[in-house]
Amino acid sequence: MSNEVYRLHPVSAIISSVKALKSMILPVAIIIISNGFNFSLNFRSEHFFETVLLFGVWGVGAVLALVGGIVKWRTFVYWFEDGELRVKYGLFVKKKRYIPFERIQSLNYHEGIFHRIFGLVKVQVETAGNKGGKPEVELTAIQKIAADVIEEEMRRAKTQIAQPLDVEPAHGQIEEVMVPIIYRMSMRDLLVLATTSGGIGVVLSGVAAVISQFSDIIPYEEVFHEVADFVKVGAFLVALMVMFVLIIAWLLSVVITLVNYHDYTVRIEDEKLMITKGLLEKKRITLPLNRIQAIRIVENPLRQIFGFATVVVESAGGNGEKGGDKKIALFPLIKKQDCLQTLEQLFPEMNWHPEFIKAPKRARPFFYRIDFFWLVPIIGASSYFLYPYGLLAFLLIPLIIFLGIWQHRTAGYMIEGKQLTMQYRVFSRVTMFMEKKRIQSMESSQTYFQKRKQVMSIKATVMSGMTGMTGNVPSLEQQDAETILTWYEH
Amino acid sequence: MRAEPIHQISRKGLTVWRLYGVLQTLLLLVIAALVCYGTYYYEWPSFIYFIAIAVVLLSAFFSAYLFPKIRWERWRYEVREHEIEVQHGLFVVKRTLIPMVRVQHVDTTQGPILKRYSLGNISISTAATVHTIPALVMDEADGLRARISELARVAEDDV
Repeated sequence: MSNEVYRLHPVSAIISSVKALKSMILPVAIIIISNGFNFSLNFRSEHFFETVLLFGVWGVGAVLALVGGIVKWRTFVYWFEDGELRVKYGLFVKKKRYIPFERIQSLNYHEGIFHRIFGLVKVQVETAGNKGGKPEVELTAIQKIAADVIEEEMRRAKTQIAQPLDVEPAHGQIEEVMVPIIYRMSMRDLLVLATTSGGIGVVLSGVAAVISQFSDIIPYEEVFHEVADFVKVGAFLVALMVMFVLIIAWLLSVVITLVNYHDYTVRIEDEKLMITKGLLEKKRITLPLNRIQAIRIVENPLRQIFGFATVVVESAGGNGEKGGDKKIALFPLIKKQDCLQTLEQLFPEMNWHPEFIKAPKRARPFFYRIDFFWLVPIIGASSYFLYPYGLLAFLLIPLIIFLGIWQHRTAGYMIEGKQLTMQYRVFSRVTMFMEKKRIQSMESSQTYFQKRKQVMSIKATVMSGMTGMTGNVPSLEQQDAETILTWYEH
Repeated sequence: MRAEPIHQISRKGLTVWRLYGVLQTLLLLVIAALVCYGTYYYEWPSFIYFIAIAVVLLSAFFSAYLFPKIRWERWRYEVREHEIEVQHGLFVVKRTLIPMVRVQHVDTTQGPILKRYSLGNISISTAATVHTIPALVMDEADGLRARISELARVAEDDV
């Protein structure tokens, strides 16, 4: 095996400098706006110095970003050796990073619009050591063929280790043409996802923000008068307008979802999950099955009614998604029945039809009693200060109690062999499936009042992203909680 | 009922916690004195005096006396062959189990006050969480660190 050294594609120099420049735009824009566009190159003007300073600094920054991008591209090399991915970069301070293939938690391919023009991909390699949410290795832009080489090398390294065991290596034949598709998102799913996700709220607030941006231009006084007339014309028209805005928001949300989740497919290959999605920006996430720490089925109340669920995979790496949550949604939206079947195929050794041991009846008050701590002051204050309408705050009491009862009915756990399943709810119902060997630590907690009633809460933390993911079943029977702890001990 | 973990924190730990409480109260006292001075000088309403005094007294009672006492009585730990068990909490009794095979590394730390009493904190890190046993006698903490890292070495399953 040749230890050929690979480089990034030249375009990566441009991409990384553009990225650096992009992060500079905002501060510069703020300065420009806060200065009120008072710029002048006339050196007699009082703004001359500011202008020169600002554009000078910005210019130097831009040049540095460009140089930085070029230097990074010139110095960055990677190669494969001893079953490791090895990376070397840096001009003055040379950095080397070696990552054994079997330690890779996830491999993400990302094709931005820029990448797609040149037929390139960005590759992110993540391990469990990932701190700060950044991937361990990021190959800014390489040819697609080169990206395939990485996978090829990984596979080869794996088979080389396995070769002494495998008497007859089944390779050399036509490989993985038949990659079974486990899940593909249908149009219906996409529409439901767009409608029931929080995305619609984001879009709404976005629309509101855009409208407020024009607040200077819109003559509010006049509009107000017109609105007053408008209301006279009829509440019907107002309702129509609201409907119209809602429909626009919904359409936008659908479009965004369609673009982001276009052709969302999950495949399984070589004990690895492969998720691809995206219309303009294509993403591909590869995740070894044996690196999965826990699986959560999340059903928000709206989706629960219609029998839909989201399946989230907890893995020790991040997932290359910028910002937002760092979890990998395996199935962003799926009928719960289907998802259980699919999960059963994927992880046959786990029990996907848990029968929960529920929280005892006497634990029920603990689910809403604690809320009165913040509820009472709020109700008191709003009743006092906003007198007639503030009294509406009393409606919170039955709501909170109802939510508490609902949470109580959801809370439960099941232990079977080496598997712990927890179910609980804040608003969305979460069912968390995990294996004993993946649980990093467990904690029981009991207040004085809980102790009197012999109930106990239990928490289990698995590794996920930077901080870990904690499942938390409140107020179980004390004996049950202790059973879980004892189960965990040995 | 599960048995409580056997070991308690050293008695000196209680003294240190009391000391922290006293320091905190002193800080509050300085702030309260400034506020009282301001009240006197600028003739703010006089109930401010009472609030300032009450805050200092409450802090003295709770953070220098009551909380350290409860916390110290509650704190227990036990290092067994396969796991570490820790019990702590003020209003809520929390019990944590950390299997040896999940331990990634162990640290001991010692600040100036702890050093004066030859005490140390020991932090046990797993891949996802960090757990601290505070105010152990330094020799014990070092011994524990060595023992945990010895016991944790048998781990096979990585993340």
